[in-house]
Amino acid sequence: MHNSFTKLHGRVKVKTTAQQEEEKKKEREKKLKIYVAARDACFAKRKEGIKDEEALELTQQLLSSNPDFATLWNQRREILMHLETIKDEDEMQKIYESELHFLESCLKVNPKSYGSWFHRGWVSARLPRPNWVRELSLCDRCLSLDDRNFHCWDYRRMVVKMSGVPVEKELEFTDRLIGSNFSNYSSWHYRSTLLPLLHPESPDPKSSGDPPSSQAHSHRVCEEQLLKEYELVQNAFFTDPNDQSAWFYYRWLLGRADREEMISCVYVSRDEERVVVGFSRPVNVNVFILFVEVILECLAVVLLFSIVLLGTIQWSTNVNVLVFRSELSVEKTSVLQSELQSCNQLQELEPLNKWCLLTIILLMRALDPLRYEKETLAHFETLKEVDPMRSAYYSDLCSKFMIENTILKMEYAEVRVFSISDKNLTTLCHLDQLVLVTHINLSSNQLHRLPLQFAMLQCLEVLEADSNLIENLEGLYHLPNLEEVLLRNNNLQPLASCPKLKHLDLRGNPVTLSDGIEAEIKALLPSVTKLLL
Amino acid sequence: MLDKHADYIAVYGSKKDDYEYTLSEYLRMSGIYWGLTVMDLMGQLHRMNRNEIVEFIKSCQHESGGISASIGHDPHLLYTLSAVQILCLYDCMDALDVDRVVEYVKGLQQEDGSFAGDKWGEIDTRFSFCAVATLALLGKMDAINVDKAIEFVLSCMNFDGGFGCRPGSESHAGQIYCCTGFLSLTGQLHQVNADLLGWWLCERQLPSGGLNGRPEKLPDVCYSWWVLASLKIIGKIHWIDKGKLRAFILACQDEETGGFADRPGDMVDPFHTLFGVAGLSLLGDEQVKAVNPVLCMPEDVLQRRGLQPDVLS
Ligand SMILES: [Zn+2]
Repeated sequence: MHNSFTKLHGRVKVKTTAQQEEEKKKEREKKLKIYVAARDACFAKRKEGIKDEEALELTQQLLSSNPDFATLWNQRREILMHLETIKDEDEMQKIYESELHFLESCLKVNPKSYGSWFHRGWVSARLPRPNWVRELSLCDRCLSLDDRNFHCWDYRRMVVKMSGVPVEKELEFTDRLIGSNFSNYSSWHYRSTLLPLLHPESPDPKSSGDPPSSQAHSHRVCEEQLLKEYELVQNAFFTDPNDQSAWFYYRWLLGRADREEMISCVYVSRDEERVVVGFSRPVNVNVFILFVEVILECLAVVLLFSIVLLGTIQWSTNVNVLVFRSELSVEKTSVLQSELQSCNQLQELEPLNKWCLLTIILLMRALDPLRYEKETLAHFETLKEVDPMRSAYYSDLCSKFMIENTILKMEYAEVRVFSISDKNLTTLCHLDQLVLVTHINLSSNQLHRLPLQFAMLQCLEVLEADSNLIENLEGLYHLPNLEEVLLRNNNLQPLASCPKLKHLDLRGNPVTLSDGIEAEIKALLPSVTKLLL
Repeated sequence: MLDKHADYIAVYGSKKDDYEYTLSEYLRMSGIYWGLTVMDLMGQLHRMNRNEIVEFIKSCQHESGGISASIGHDPHLLYTLSAVQILCLYDCMDALDVDRVVEYVKGLQQEDGSFAGDKWGEIDTRFSFCAVATLALLGKMDAINVDKAIEFVLSCMNFDGGFGCRPGSESHAGQIYCCTGFLSLTGQLHQVNADLLGWWLCERQLPSGGLNGRPEKLPDVCYSWWVLASLKIIGKIHWIDKGKLRAFILACQDEETGGFADRPGDMVDPFHTLFGVAGLSLLGDEQVKAVNPVLCMPEDVLQRRGLQPDVLS
């Protein structure tokens, strides 16, 4: 685990001569003696229970050069708490103020010490007459030296909370910092926590009465304020289009709350005595529902017994439109349209700017995923060229969008056949939308695997997946209706999955009764030398 | 080169009178964990002095059950986890009074589900990770209020899908590693927005191939590990350029002395040596043992304890 290792960072290795080495060694030996003596003196005081000002003095010596020595801060706190019992308030005020003074000098030398910042918070909270204004100005000075020091930001948030600084004031503070330097991820982050407090989204009539979400990041901002924010961010990325801070923030602004929890599909089969329920998000299965099989990680629950509540729920393709748009904004089309225009303008100036290209893709998807499909694909190609290190990310994102588009294009009558061949798919998703599909065609893509979530395709009878890069069949378990599987030209290598397998004991399995099984297994797993059937 | 790295670690632990070594006494227990883990990954654990280390750990357990970095220092969750990890490597958990360790961890959980690092009350998601990792290794997860602990960690999730030290704190790769690791150990990885977080994490890769811990920061071997392990945990490790990262990590080796530094040309230390080697292991290097991305320990050690933390696929 990591504590604070600032000392281990950025120490440049320098070549030294033997003589220099010898001198250094002597110097270090001397320092070591002094250090050990001081440490032992501190420990001795503590062991004897002596909590006097001399002990404060001794620990101060060591901490000023080694503020990560946490136990010494603990010792100081014990001494200070003891002094509280024997000194009056004015004396304590003085002692604590000198402690703050000492801490300031520690922070000057080592502004990233967890121990110093925690101790400062501890002292500030115990000060008989706290001076929060001074603490805020300390933060201002510290952030003016390093506006990304997260220890200082966290300390500032504590001071703000303790002293009741209004949220507006803090938002103005980020205005100032961003105004002087757009490239300040910490300030943009702080805004993302302040805005929803100050300008909460007007409550959605549909969800009124629901308990508020426990996750702070899903809190949204009201539209009026959003428009102002868009302007601020645009200023930032027009000024420096390669500064990622503003782009990360912009993607969040354009986004909206998490996908709602809902049932995306219900399938009932009397013949098989089977009910399949697909959920849009992971669900906590209620203990009162009889369930036999929970497929983890796949956002679905498969129930093997029929239950009563399902009669009223029907599959509807209309749901899809809402589901896929939800990653980007619910704001008015006109607003998004003008955002897209701005980004397009920037893209003309900076045709190879990856942040701009990605944002354009996201805006196009929010506006009309099908109409912009061709342009989206072209932009993805450019992205992979200008940012090859992240080409796998872009491929996966593009695959997701292609799957969404294919689902959007599905007619109600076609709901049982899903064909998406030759689209450079690298990943599969939204399988919860495909529970009713009986025939899926994934041929000629770049898929390496059929994920475990494939188990959602409970009606699947025919799988076509020729000409991919599929390595194993783990996703094909739990598909009771599967009749036909086409996997020509793939990467199926049982050898690759267990190259060291030598001993295989399959006795007592029905599979051993079938004809020619021994030859089949030996062909599949030639490394097996001992096969028991 | 692996032999040189092993020599470096073996010698480092023997220079007990060294000034720098003494200065880092306040984190000794973690230092031993880094050294032993990297030795085990390289198949060289036998070179370390097992008896001495186990005796040292015994002498660092306090009345409260917690373990300190060294003798004379105060107990803390950071070093309690390190000690438990070391005893897992050596498969001798009975060197500690395990029930009291569990009591110590349990006693540090707060009303809101968070964990203090020690009795002085510093709160941090790192300590939430230390708590559940310690208990997972001891098989005692049910000793704490896991639901509350999860609620607190989720309240530290940010607009970029990452996590910070406390609610409202900025996302940071080290913290993200702790929180995704925490959610793995508590079976809650579905709560992560893997697409959004994965994007932020893969954007940590710089032209040098190395990864930074936050936007606009320098690349570093230790951050490379935290980002890489987080990506592995959320199933997106393929979103970075593995070849370039491997080249960066290898460039941080000191070919004369052995060991890894934070960046090419800097001084080596055991901390970056562990995360360099562990990073290479996650990238599929077959010269070293497979490392577990959640607990940063050899997979075979965890298998021995029957522990297999979740990762998304
Ligand atoms: Zn580092």
